Parts: sequence; C-alpha cells; structure tokens
Amino acid sequence: MNNTVLELENISYKYKNDLILNKINLKINSGEKIALLGKSGSGKTTLISVLNGTIKPTQGEVKLFNQSFEELDRKQKSKITTIWQDLRLIEDLSAEQNVNCGLLAENNFYFAFKNLLNISSFKKAHKYMKLCRLHNSIYDKKIRKLSGGQKQRVAIARSLIQESNILLADEPFNNLDPKLITTIKNLLLENVDKNKTKKSPKTALVALHRLDLLNDFDKVIGIRDGKIFFNLKRNNLKKIHLEKIY
Amino acid sequence: MNKLKLNYTSLSFLPILVCIPLGYQLINNIHFGGFKLFQEFLISSFNPKIDNEIIITVIKRLNETILIGFFSWLVSIIFGAFFGIISSNIFYKIFNIPNFFYRIVRFFLTIIRSIHEVVWGILLMQIYGINFSIGIIAICIPYIAVNSKVFAEQLETIDYKNFESINQINGPKFSSLLTLIWNPIIYTFKNFGLYRLECSIRSTVILGLFGIGGIGTSIFLSFQTLNFRELWTYLWSLAILIILSGLIFKKIKFNTTNKILSIFFISIFFITILFSFLYFLYFIFNNNFENFNSASSLFKSSSDFRLFDFLKLTLETIILSLLSTGIAISLPPLVIGIFNNNTSKIFIKIFAFLLRLIPTPVILLTLLTFNNPSVSLAALTLGLHNAGITSKLLFTNLDSQDKRNYIAMKSLGISKKTSWLLGLFSHQAKSYLAYCAYRSDIIIRETAIVGVIGSVGLGWQLQESLSSFAWQEVTLVLIAYSCIAIVGELINGKIKNSLT
Repeated sequence: MNNTVLELENISYKYKNDLILNKINLKINSGEKIALLGKSGSGKTTLISVLNGTIKPTQGEVKLFNQSFEELDRKQKSKITTIWQDLRLIEDLSAEQNVNCGLLAENNFYFAFKNLLNISSFKKAHKYMKLCRLHNSIYDKKIRKLSGGQKQRVAIARSLIQESNILLADEPFNNLDPKLITTIKNLLLENVDKNKTKKSPKTALVALHRLDLLNDFDKVIGIRDGKIFFNLKRNNLKKIHLEKIY
Repeated sequence: MNKLKLNYTSLSFLPILVCIPLGYQLINNIHFGGFKLFQEFLISSFNPKIDNEIIITVIKRLNETILIGFFSWLVSIIFGAFFGIISSNIFYKIFNIPNFFYRIVRFFLTIIRSIHEVVWGILLMQIYGINFSIGIIAICIPYIAVNSKVFAEQLETIDYKNFESINQINGPKFSSLLTLIWNPIIYTFKNFGLYRLECSIRSTVILGLFGIGGIGTSIFLSFQTLNFRELWTYLWSLAILIILSGLIFKKIKFNTTNKILSIFFISIFFITILFSFLYFLYFIFNNNFENFNSASSLFKSSSDFRLFDFLKLTLETIILSLLSTGIAISLPPLVIGIFNNNTSKIFIKIFAFLLRLIPTPVILLTLLTFNNPSVSLAALTLGLHNAGITSKLLFTNLDSQDKRNYIAMKSLGISKKTSWLLGLFSHQAKSYLAYCAYRSDIIIRETAIVGVIGSVGLGWQLQESLSSFAWQEVTLVLIAYSCIAIVGELINGKIKNSLT
C-alpha cells in the first residue's frame, strides 16, 4: 500500500540566475522521521519552503497525499506545520497571542479578532507553552522582550498547537540548552513513534546541523548545492557520506 | 581653499538660497500704504476683544469647528485605514489578486489626494452651494487618500517572512490579513492618526475662510472689516483649542490589552462606518443633488483659455512650490542655529506656533498690507507657515536627542553654534530632510490656497474659472494640479527612499 504523504517530483527552483534546487525527487512516507543535513546555503530552507507550499517551484510538482499542492484546499494544506529557522513570530504580539495564531486554520475570523484584542481563550495555548517549558510569567510578554531560547520555544508551541500530521522544522534546536533540546526533541518526535495522540505530528522532516541528534531519526537526507546527494536509512549512514556534503 | 561638501547637513541649508530672488522681488514690490494696518494687526494680538457677545460667538463658532474637524477626522482616519489596507502589497499577496488592481487603486488615491481640500471645498460649494456638510466632505476626500498613503506605507514595512509564516498556517484569508496588519495599523493610528486631528481642525478653519462656517468664517469676516482685535480673539481661542486637543490626546493612552477600551473603540469604529454611509447616501439623494450646476456643461462650455496663460500659471505654481519648500527646509535650522540660546528658543517656538496657528490666507492678506501680490509673497507665506511646522518637528527631535556630543564639543572650546551644528543638528539632518520631502508634497497641494488669495498660479485661475462656471477650464486646472502633485510626489518619494 502506498503510504506516501509528501512527494517532490523533479523539483527545481531558480532565484534570479541561481539554481537553488536542482531536479529533486523525494518521497516522504507516513510516520517517517527524516533528518535533512547539509551545510549553510545548500538549499535546506528552500526545500522546506517548497514542501510547505510557501515557494512555488520553477519546475516540477509537489504532491500532498497524492494530490497536487495547487489543487488542495486550505484545510488540506493546513495538515503541514512548519518551524522556521528564523522563527517568524510577530514581534508586537504577546507570546500567547503568537501561539494562538497556530489555531487560525481551525477557527474563523472572529477568533483572529478576539486573539488580537486579547479576549480569546488562551487555555490551549498555555497547555502547549507549558509543554515547551515556558514559564507562565512570559505568557503575556511581547515577543521582542523574550530571550532567544524563549522565542524558539514559542515558535515550537505555535507549531505544536496546530496538531498537524506533518512537521517540517528548520533547525528547531537553535538557541536551546542541551537539557531543553532533549525535551523539545521528544516533544516534536516522540509522538510520531508512539502515536500517543491522534492529532500530534506523525511525519517529520527536520533540518539539522548537529550530528549527535541523528539517533532519533529513521532516515537521513544529505543535500549539497541544491541536489540530494544521499537518501539513506540512518543505520547506513557513513562518514564518507557526510564528507560529500560538508 | 575650502570646498563646500554636499552632505545632509549642507543640503539642509542650501535651499535658503531661494531667498535671493525672493528678497529681490519683495523689495521691488514694497509699498507703504498698509504699514499702519500691519502695526494695528500686531498690537491687537496683545489686546484681543473680550465681551459677552464675542465670547458667545466664539463658543458657537468653535463648536462648529470642532464638529466639522472631529467628524471629518474620524471618518477620514477610519476610511484612510481601509483604503490603506487595500492599497498595500500585503492585501494583494494574501488574496492572490493581480498587481494590476494594486496600481489602479494607488493611482486613483494619488489623484484624489493631489487636490487640496480647499479646492474640493470650492468645487463642491459651486455645485451644491454653501452647506455645512460640504466642509466635512471636502476635508474627508483628500484626507482619506492622504491617510491611506501613510497606512499603506506602514503596512509595506511588514516583514515578508512573517507574511509567509502566517500564510503557511492556512487560516482564513481575512484572519491572516488581520493578524498581520493589526499592529502596524494601531501603531500608525497612535503616531500619525492623532496628529491628523490638529490638521483636520486647521483645514476646517481654512475652509471656513471660504464660507463653510466655523471659526474660520469669523476670522475672515473680522479681517475683511479690519477688526483686528476681534480677529485675535478668534485666533487665540483657536490656539487654545489646538493646544487642548493636543494635550487631551497626549493623556489618552491607547492600551490594546484593555478589553473594555478595545470593545469601546471597535463599537465607535462600526458606528462611524455605518453613520458615514447613511450620511453619504442622505447627502447624495437629498435635494442637494438638484443644485448641481449642470454637469453636462463640463463638456460643453466654451473657453477662451489660452495655452500660453495656462503654461505660465502652471510654471508659476511650480516655482511657488519650489520657493516655499526652500524656505520651509532651510529657515528652521538656520534660525535655530544662529539664535542658539534658551531665551531665543522660546521666542522661536512661540513664533513658529503663531505661523502654524494663523491660516495661510490670513498671513498672506496681512503681508499684502505692505507688498504687492506676487509669486514671491505667496511663496514667503507658504514657506513661513510650513517652516512653522518643520521647526516643530526639528525642535522635538533635537530636544529628545542625546546631547553628549554637543556638550563634549563645547567643552573642547568649540563655539556654541559650531557645536550645535556638528554635535546636534548633523545627526538629525537626514531624518529632517526625509520629513521635508514628505512636507513638500503638502506644499505643492497648498499652493492652491495661496493661489486663490494671492492671485498667483493655478489657484487663482481656478477661482476665476469657478466664479464664471467655466467648467472646462476648471477641469483643465484640476488636471494640471494633479499632474504637478503626482510628479512632485514621485520625485519626493525617490528622495525620501534614498534618505531612509
């Protein structure tokens, strides 16, 4: 049975005269945990942006659940959640308002309005913020007043609250101390394995720099100059593979 | 030999050179017929008329001014925000609307704001007759377009990455839009919207000079009868109103986290929109519409308007704008730099306040008591009025600036003026010039007012054409005004972009 959730068919992306992604073919199956490796500027962030539909490829097709991304409606597209490398939080909103933004897809305009007026319920947001080890003293603080690590966890909470099937994360462990990395990593990936709750992310593609975190992933993809150099099971990953991409 | 180096500081002073041709023409045009009147005008400022009758008139006229000013401000700020949103990039990106519509909306708003509220007022008065509503509508039309520009500019500063991030959540389009624009809109309202109330009151006064009502009408009537004591009573009461409105808004803190306040503002927002629409419909479908002086004449009326005159008047308007802008840019830093002590600063601030307070037509009429009408006199008037506004901004920025460089330079034995120039002003010059670029957009539009009163440029022609119901000429003049304003706005936009 074909259980592919995300598929890239011959994807190329050109920005001005630079070819950022070059004929990429990739299948991501349900429940897979994939680590995306590659040095800075290799095309990891662009690949994630193509996968979540933010960037339209110059050539090729992106499929979600075997359907072209272009044909999907808003609700179907919302099955993908992203943690961006640069977080992309709204600086002038509070931490809890930012986390609540993750609920925009499942609510109507009135919810967005109430969230901005600060009169919506933050119960669910607080639950996920607590899971991300955020102290309640920062819930109503503006993003601009938070530390790098706190902002990182707010972004993660905003992503988790979406309870999407597919998680795309671009270096989500930046700014976190080692103890927090384990906690957050478990939070992002554990549910994929154990399927503890129905709504938590089941499939994950995470761009990484730290090789010591690879143990929790099933597959490793190496990318260099916009091309996939290897796509292996983690156990098959050898030093020679890493030398090719770094 | 030392060469003049062009930097932001020297560029702030260079435009003062416009004073050479300006001064030459003013000296040639001087006459001594009205010196006594001018003297009387000045003395009356210290001795305004105060009795029961005038106090009642002042209260009545101020009520009218507040009503027109406040209501037009409220409507123009709400609709300005709305048009700001639909003329911003973010709106078209979220809804995937082709950029073609974005350009059309922007172009339409540029044309609307290129025509001064006085011109709209005179035009509407010719069509509908003198009517209280005309004041509100005449102010609202260009103000909505001006406000929309400021709101749109602020919305353009939204980080594209934030847009991508919120868009990727895939919420309803309106939810994503609201989440992204909320803070820039609130910020613009706090920092720009409240200041527009003062502008709205000033515009009400100027329209009053043309008969709309309010304190402006009383100012004009007392000037016409040369009753300067009465005139100053109105001017001082207007000053109190402007100061009070500024103080009240400074005290109000808009806390968006306060639930009751938020609901209150939202209610006001919706009530105003509903009321404005109903009012607009009432105005259009009321008998007013029948008073229209035949729209068809717009295309039929024959005109003996000569091309040569038209080009001459257009050129005069451009020269008037350039001369006024020169004064408005360079006079404040020059005067503040030369008279750089605490006592002088107080006098400069009072003088600048008076220049902002006294409507330009009144300044021009006062100056006409000892000078013949000319482009230079109109430019001086417009330049002085706007210098009053640019100096306010300069003072505010200089006062809030870190003065350590200035103090350090003085302690090294460098003269006070040089220390001020290099230690204080040089840090402000860039942002000051950027603001002046924005101000010159307004100066171009304001040439219409001094033109009408001072018999120069297209403003004068507009008044003449309107009085004789020569609608073809009116259309031509309005197109010319729009073209000048649009070209000016494009040039100033480029200058502003290079400065910020």
